[in-house]
Amino acid sequence: MIVAENLRKTFPGKGKKAQPVVAVDNVSFTAHDGQITGLLGPNGAGKTTTLRMLYTLMQPETGQVEVDGFDATTQADAVRRVLGVLPDARGVYKRLTARENIAYFGKLQGLSDAEIAERTRLLAAALQMEDFLDRQTEGFSQGQRTKTAIARALVHDPRNVILDEPTNGLDVMTTRGLREFLKQLRAEGRCVIFSSHIMQEVAALCDRIVIIAQGRVMAEGTPDELRAKAGTENLEDAFVQLIGTEEGLHA
Amino acid sequence: MNIRTARKIGFFSTMFTVMKKELLDFSRDRKTLALTLLMGPLIYPIIMLGMGKLTEMRMRTQLEKPLEIAIVGKERAPNLVGFLASQGITAMKAPPKDVEAAIRAQDADVALVIDKDFGKDWAAGTPARVSVVTDSTRRNADIPVGRVTAALETYGQAVGGMRLVARGINPGVTRAIGVDRKDLATPEAKRGVLLSVIMPLILLILAFIGGAHLSMDTTAGERERQSLEPLLATPAPRSGLVSGKMLAAACVGVTSLVLTLLAFKLSANLAGGGMARMMDVSFLAMGKMLLVLLPLVIIGTALLTFISANAKSMKEAQAHMTWLLFVPMLPAYALMAYPLKDTQLWQYAVPFLSQNQLLGKISRGESPSAEQWAVYLAASLALAAVLWLAAVWRYKQEKLAISG
Repeated sequence: MIVAENLRKTFPGKGKKAQPVVAVDNVSFTAHDGQITGLLGPNGAGKTTTLRMLYTLMQPETGQVEVDGFDATTQADAVRRVLGVLPDARGVYKRLTARENIAYFGKLQGLSDAEIAERTRLLAAALQMEDFLDRQTEGFSQGQRTKTAIARALVHDPRNVILDEPTNGLDVMTTRGLREFLKQLRAEGRCVIFSSHIMQEVAALCDRIVIIAQGRVMAEGTPDELRAKAGTENLEDAFVQLIGTEEGLHA
Repeated sequence: MNIRTARKIGFFSTMFTVMKKELLDFSRDRKTLALTLLMGPLIYPIIMLGMGKLTEMRMRTQLEKPLEIAIVGKERAPNLVGFLASQGITAMKAPPKDVEAAIRAQDADVALVIDKDFGKDWAAGTPARVSVVTDSTRRNADIPVGRVTAALETYGQAVGGMRLVARGINPGVTRAIGVDRKDLATPEAKRGVLLSVIMPLILLILAFIGGAHLSMDTTAGERERQSLEPLLATPAPRSGLVSGKMLAAACVGVTSLVLTLLAFKLSANLAGGGMARMMDVSFLAMGKMLLVLLPLVIIGTALLTFISANAKSMKEAQAHMTWLLFVPMLPAYALMAYPLKDTQLWQYAVPFLSQNQLLGKISRGESPSAEQWAVYLAASLALAAVLWLAAVWRYKQEKLAISG
């Protein structure tokens, strides 16, 4: 379970006398185990910054993050061990094979060789990556790279999974496969958070949706709750009304 | 799920995991690997053998070949011209009209102008004037000029001596002191002097930035390729991550140093006796040099890692190479301008100067004292530790992780 409370983050503005930019302002939400929580918002809404605070790469200025009861600031190591993260930056080492990429992260998570081999087998099957598992990742397609990055993020079998725009740049078939994979993670009882700027995708997958725009949480709830809140039948209309723009409706 | 309980991963296992991965990654990049490892070992013998060959060629052609020079007014001093010819210095059949212009234009290295009154002065027993015309800034004229002046002096002394004898005086009385100069340096040893300046320099540069590609690539490059953020999101201790990267770069640096030292030994043996006499190329000396250079390898990789972690891009990190390349050379140039005796202890605490002095000492076959070793190792390892801590500190900063 991941709990975010009153997160705030500002960045220094560029140039002299520039005002600091408030990237995330008072963001709170809770992501439960066995559920997929979607962070929905247009580009530049502060989704990536919020996620970075969740996976301990950034310190929030105010507020706190708790993952499975561990505090992200004071117990960052414990949080990192129970988290699997697919960051916005998902570069893989191009001179290593997909399997070696995964094994490297397994080692850094403290797994034994046998555990790494077993997890790699399971993840490769679930992500359908067996046929390119032993190839060097140089020349991989975007989908193959993303799958490699997801597998390496989950090699230590984490209870909590954070994915930053996982379907970005993927074709329809790969996206479908990925959705099935996320549902599988949910069925295993994990807490899954993913961010997206595509409404349809969030609607298709999520148990709970957190709508973020301009660094603030505009609305939070199940799809039904959001429809009720906006007073519309249709989730798309609800989204437009809640963030006050049509941006992000069309992928 | 959750069959595996999360466990801690220690500093050392992180460091070795990262080092192994970086070396594996690097070893698959064949071209860069070959360039990094073989450049030093190949350049060294080329400089050593090539420069030796060039010096030798110059010596041979200019010392032994009959020298033909322009002599203006040779009809005024036939005896002198005859004497010069017996010394292998012959007069040109058709000397240029304007010898000064010819020398300025580098058509001739040296010319003799025999004074109009040479015959009269000679007969009167007053000094008969002969001018040696030359350009002293041209180094390739050194040897011809030396030969001509030496021959003139010999001739002058011989004739002067005979005049004294003719007057019944022992010519020895005019020489209050008999100064004889003996230059024991062989041509090989002279080549050695040059190399003993160049060798520490090459080794210093190589040790300092030999692993540069790897240090930059594993920090600035990794961030640019967007694989640093996932790496930093793992529970592996940051100090272990950065140490592993530095260790990998240091391994590459040391390997290239060892290869260079071996190439150096090999080419010193190939180049012949004088070189080996001039410089100590035993395995013990090589081992000592390696010990001198090891702290420098750590200093270099730590500094480069720190710089790369501060740079916004690989390009920015690489832009630092210009001054980094000059830093090791500064003490060598300073020493050329202001030679210091390598006895004072403070010199062994100054980075680059200390390595320079130590390498020079070792290559001359001297042994640094225990005190000098102690000061050197303490100072350089302390600096390495400080830079290492700076790199670790930088890796713990939030800004590092975020690319673009």
